[in-house]
Amino acid sequence: MKKLIKNPHLHFIFLGLLLMIVPKLAEMGLFKVSYVTTLGGTFILAIAALGLNILLGFSGLVSLGTAGFMGLAAYLSAYFTVDLGLSFELSLILAVVIPTIVGILVGLVSLKIEGIYLAIATLAVSEILRKTFEEFDFFTGGFSGKTASYPTLLGTYELDRAGMYYFVVAVLIIVMLITYNMMNGRLGRALNAMRGSEAASQAMGVNLLNHRLIAFALATMYASIAGVLYVHFIKYSYPSIWTLKLSLDFLAMIVIGGLRSIYGTLLGAFIVFAVPDLFLKQIPFFSEMSYVLNGVLIILVIIFYPNGLINMFADIKRLFNKLSKGEGK
Amino acid sequence: MENLNGLVLKVDALSIAFGGLKAVDNLSFDIKENEVFGLIGPNGAGKTTAFNCITQFYKPNSGTLLFKGRDEQVHDLQKKKVHEIIKLGLVRTFQNVELIRELSVIDNVLIGAHVDFISTIIDQAFRLPRARREEKALRKEALRILGVLGIEDRALLPAGGQPYGVLKKVEFARALMSNPRLIILDEPAAGLNDSETIELAKLIRKLRDELGCSILLVEHDMRLVMDVCDRICAISFGKFLAVGTPKEIKENRDVQIAYLGIEVEANA
Repeated sequence: MKKLIKNPHLHFIFLGLLLMIVPKLAEMGLFKVSYVTTLGGTFILAIAALGLNILLGFSGLVSLGTAGFMGLAAYLSAYFTVDLGLSFELSLILAVVIPTIVGILVGLVSLKIEGIYLAIATLAVSEILRKTFEEFDFFTGGFSGKTASYPTLLGTYELDRAGMYYFVVAVLIIVMLITYNMMNGRLGRALNAMRGSEAASQAMGVNLLNHRLIAFALATMYASIAGVLYVHFIKYSYPSIWTLKLSLDFLAMIVIGGLRSIYGTLLGAFIVFAVPDLFLKQIPFFSEMSYVLNGVLIILVIIFYPNGLINMFADIKRLFNKLSKGEGK
Repeated sequence: MENLNGLVLKVDALSIAFGGLKAVDNLSFDIKENEVFGLIGPNGAGKTTAFNCITQFYKPNSGTLLFKGRDEQVHDLQKKKVHEIIKLGLVRTFQNVELIRELSVIDNVLIGAHVDFISTIIDQAFRLPRARREEKALRKEALRILGVLGIEDRALLPAGGQPYGVLKKVEFARALMSNPRLIILDEPAAGLNDSETIELAKLIRKLRDELGCSILLVEHDMRLVMDVCDRICAISFGKFLAVGTPKEIKENRDVQIAYLGIEVEANA
């Protein structure tokens, strides 16, 4: 029983079940239906942020191109389902595979450079993609954007907003589980070694270019999955969504939440995306200030929790243990 | 290819120059199986450069490097890439311990088994039985090695907070994890106090005797070198000076000149 409680895989599944209650609570009128959209959006962004965490947190490579790849996948999926009439499953696969291949090609060229230069190269790619979204209007609808609909799973199950929310939560939990498995195994160790010391990891047999490519491909893949979910959940896509600001938001999510932490990424996504929407907009003064909050938070987190806010829970637990022990005496 | 009779490594006429500086110039030596071999020389003699050439961190300008791998085959090291060297059974440690602070001690050791995993990323991502079995077996092996080094009680602690002596051992364990034929130790005594150095000497002999691998020791600490090495090669300014038993090296006039500057004294 104790073993069961400590099983990390069950924790993820339990979290998933917990998140699935939200639409029911909304139905019962405990909170606004629009919160379901906000939370679903948060989870979608968390998926892309998890990919960036693999890249930045584990491998130590900086990318500013997350938004571009996410947008590409969103447009592709909208185009496949609406214009070409493909099934959701097929367009999901295509809209994930195509950006991933583009990502690998970009990676092959740009991963020989490091640090800040890689960040600039990925930023350039992302900006090129955004410009493409604006100009190729037969495919993207240009500035007026592109709309998509809630998907129909397996040709029979038509999803509504709540249904799509369940689907998003399921995908999020699967992605978290897979990430957990990979990052606690051989791949995660190799990526960590690469970040720690390139010389040592090479001496231990880690092929640097290969592993950088794998990390980059995974990040692109996660961003693409998020893009597809986004366009079918929010139901539209404009070029102005996929800007540098979004890429920087992803960066903020993982720095605030916690580098190399899976739960931290989710927490970061919640703080950066959902908190301004759910709480701050209710307060008149703060509604304009909500995006200043991110900057302030990053500074505070770096000073007090350099490993991310997720460590706050460990501290609280320690404090709690200390207090309860103190009472015992 | 040449059959290395009783040798694990044969270095022949190795040379590398950085610009006009000949860091290693026409250096030759060989290491026998089950031997502790020392490479010594004053500061800037080219010791580290020499073994960076052997491990392919640098590509030498000329010379041959032959190595008898785990598979009993003779390999030309220069045809291999840096990350392929460990697979042959040649592994190195670093002068300033290069570990990952955020990972636990045992995870650090498991990095040494990186090339021995056969399960794919897909196996790992979905924790298929093959990946689970493999991870379990290698984890057990890592624990056993930590046990040999006497630090298995620290296996689950993060490497970041461990004392320097322990970190050195963790790096040792990581090297051993790859089941090597030849371990190259880059100044293992650097930063250790006297009693730790004595313990290190014991450990080096123990590894040689129990695991049957050869050890190339690149070291400054003369006491350690004289104490544990079977044979020593002395170099100065990239050039070969002498090779022999510790006693022979101590009495060799060229070595004395290089280290103590007797020639200068005689001229004065």
